[in-house]
Amino acid sequence: MTAQEAGPHPVVVEGVSKRFGRVDVVCDLSFEVQAGEVLGFLGPNGAGKTTTMRMILDIIRPDSGRIAVFGGAPGLAQQHRVGYLPEERGLYRDVSAVDTLTYFGSLKGMSGGDARRQAEALLRELGLGDSMAKRAGELSRGMHQKVQVIATVLHRPQLLILDEPFQGLDPVNAQMLRDLVLGQRDRGAAVVMSTHDMNEAQTLCDRLLLIDHGRRVLYGSVTDIRRGFASGAVEVEGEGIPSSPGALRSADDAIASNGRIRFVLRDGASPSDLFRELAASGAQVTRFEEAAPTLNEIFIRAVAGEPRGDTA
Amino acid sequence: MTRRVAVGQQRRSFLRLMAVVARRDYLRTVRRRGFVFGTALLPAAMGGLLLLSSLFGSPPAVPAPAAALTVVNESAIPLQPATGAQLREVDRATADSELARGALGEFYIVPAGYPAAPEIQRVAASGRSPAIEDFQRWSGQEPVLAATLRLSLLADAGVRPDVAERVARPISVRDVSVDGAPSDPVVGGFGFIVPYAFTFLFVMSIFITSGYLLQSVTEEKENRVVEIVLSSVPPQPLMFGKIVGLGAAGLTQVAVWVATALIALPLAVERLPMIDGLEISPLVVGLALVFFVLGYLAYGAIFAAVGAIAPGTREAQQYSGFFGFFAVVPLLFAGAFFADPGSALVTVLAVVPLTAPAAMLQLLALSAEPPWLLVAASLLSLGAFAALAALAASRIFRATLLLYGARPSLRGILGAITARG
Repeated sequence: MTAQEAGPHPVVVEGVSKRFGRVDVVCDLSFEVQAGEVLGFLGPNGAGKTTTMRMILDIIRPDSGRIAVFGGAPGLAQQHRVGYLPEERGLYRDVSAVDTLTYFGSLKGMSGGDARRQAEALLRELGLGDSMAKRAGELSRGMHQKVQVIATVLHRPQLLILDEPFQGLDPVNAQMLRDLVLGQRDRGAAVVMSTHDMNEAQTLCDRLLLIDHGRRVLYGSVTDIRRGFASGAVEVEGEGIPSSPGALRSADDAIASNGRIRFVLRDGASPSDLFRELAASGAQVTRFEEAAPTLNEIFIRAVAGEPRGDTA
Repeated sequence: MTRRVAVGQQRRSFLRLMAVVARRDYLRTVRRRGFVFGTALLPAAMGGLLLLSSLFGSPPAVPAPAAALTVVNESAIPLQPATGAQLREVDRATADSELARGALGEFYIVPAGYPAAPEIQRVAASGRSPAIEDFQRWSGQEPVLAATLRLSLLADAGVRPDVAERVARPISVRDVSVDGAPSDPVVGGFGFIVPYAFTFLFVMSIFITSGYLLQSVTEEKENRVVEIVLSSVPPQPLMFGKIVGLGAAGLTQVAVWVATALIALPLAVERLPMIDGLEISPLVVGLALVFFVLGYLAYGAIFAAVGAIAPGTREAQQYSGFFGFFAVVPLLFAGAFFADPGSALVTVLAVVPLTAPAAMLQLLALSAEPPWLLVAASLLSLGAFAALAALAASRIFRATLLLYGARPSLRGILGAITARG
């Protein structure tokens, strides 16, 4: 039994709904987050991502449905196991970085001494050793971002909830955050990360949850979702590949572009049929890949109303 | 059993988080330069006043000399000065001359037809309007002249001097306690000073602490820190931690002022003899403390909610000023408390929760025996209101704290208060 399988899932959301006034912000939403994975939480602005995250954190309560965090109700008992980086984030302007972090650590159950020692160590590790006594108002924006990230992981949480973590980050801090997310995942923590950056999502996430108007649109591993959106095409590179229309029985069309040929498969034909035909034709194939759309394309198509990638 | 353990753990977590928030907000506030300056300002002002008073003031404990007056007696009645009166008889020419030289402020003429013609003339220096000290001097001279003329008329009528003296001064009252020991009614009458001081301290601490609470909550909203804090502390322990921590900061300030006053009191006794030997009933002090704490809790909850609702510091101050006004209302009606503590107005002010603390503190100050029925009704009303206000405020806190820069609707606020859980 692995560590990930040992306990209840860090997050289980079952049929949760939330309405603000006359607007259904979250509708019958279900998903789970496993230990040691990064779940990408995608959706257009106003889709209900932040509301869902706040419900997991017990900052707001759902109108219906059930949320379990480490097997229990979200709230007091679980909050010291969770690290949160909100989209709207700041620091006390007239308080030093180390004092702010010590306070946040104390709120997460650490003793004052431990919180201060850990804060000092992390500030030094991220190159803020000389600035730890400076008030936040005296720090640069990049320094602010580092302090906010430290506040999220100071107490070694088992669940990280990151709301648009890459927004406004410079490339150096973005790389730092990328390393941090993967480092936290590798030590077994579960990470829920909302983002509008599809490249980040494709690079960092193990699974994806896409919601729109509070409803689940896509849910599953990145590979499965991309495969689900595959358009029945194959991209091929190599020498002597027959590219005229009708040259191969298993392809309807062939479009050459940038040194590769995109074959659109005939109805009923599989990529294996095409591969066998190419091999029989004597062509030297150096690359043969099912043409899957990028996450960006999938996002646009799914939000525009083409739901066919939910693999959960 | 497991559920009981979980509830126990939740309670401990709640109290621990509340203590962390309270400790941090307290230390942060009392270390602020503004706090240190504000705390030191009042004692410094008191010290300065005492110093100025000792340098330039005249000690009020020394009895004022008997009023001296100059009289021109044109009547046939010989003047018999009353005991202690400094009365000087001169002729008209001397009086005019001394007045012209400025040696006299005024003189009195008893007319030739006196007592048939009762009008006494006061001749004052011409060329200037009377000043305050002239009126004060004249008000001291008139009774002396009246007593002198009364004695003179009685002597002229052949009344014995001792009887004439009693007619002029019929009584002399001496205050004693039940066992016959001398007592000073002025000192006893100042027994209400501590509860009244409580009333003023209550109102002051309401305004001081509301300022700190609003500053703390709006600052966390404006700095966008509140969401990180709320991910670690549920709204209730956060709100109560702030009320306790910032309330303690406000009380620290008041305590410093009270301590300064206690230190300054022995010095002030010399100038205010009525506060010497002051004794306060422990029961009254205890009741005053209960009203103080309940009142503070009720107002603290309201101000915490106001801080959560208000989109910015300025709006927060406006809203809190509206609620803070209720704390002052009983002081505006202090006259009604003096005139008739049993009046309907006083009873209403004592029972309405927001005015109850200041009203009851005044009432306790003025009543020989606490009005127990009213005390019970007031405690019940205030206690219930404080509990409901705390519950409602914590729900408003949860629902509105994350509305950055936006003002929630009244409907939204009411919805948050009546929401489940």
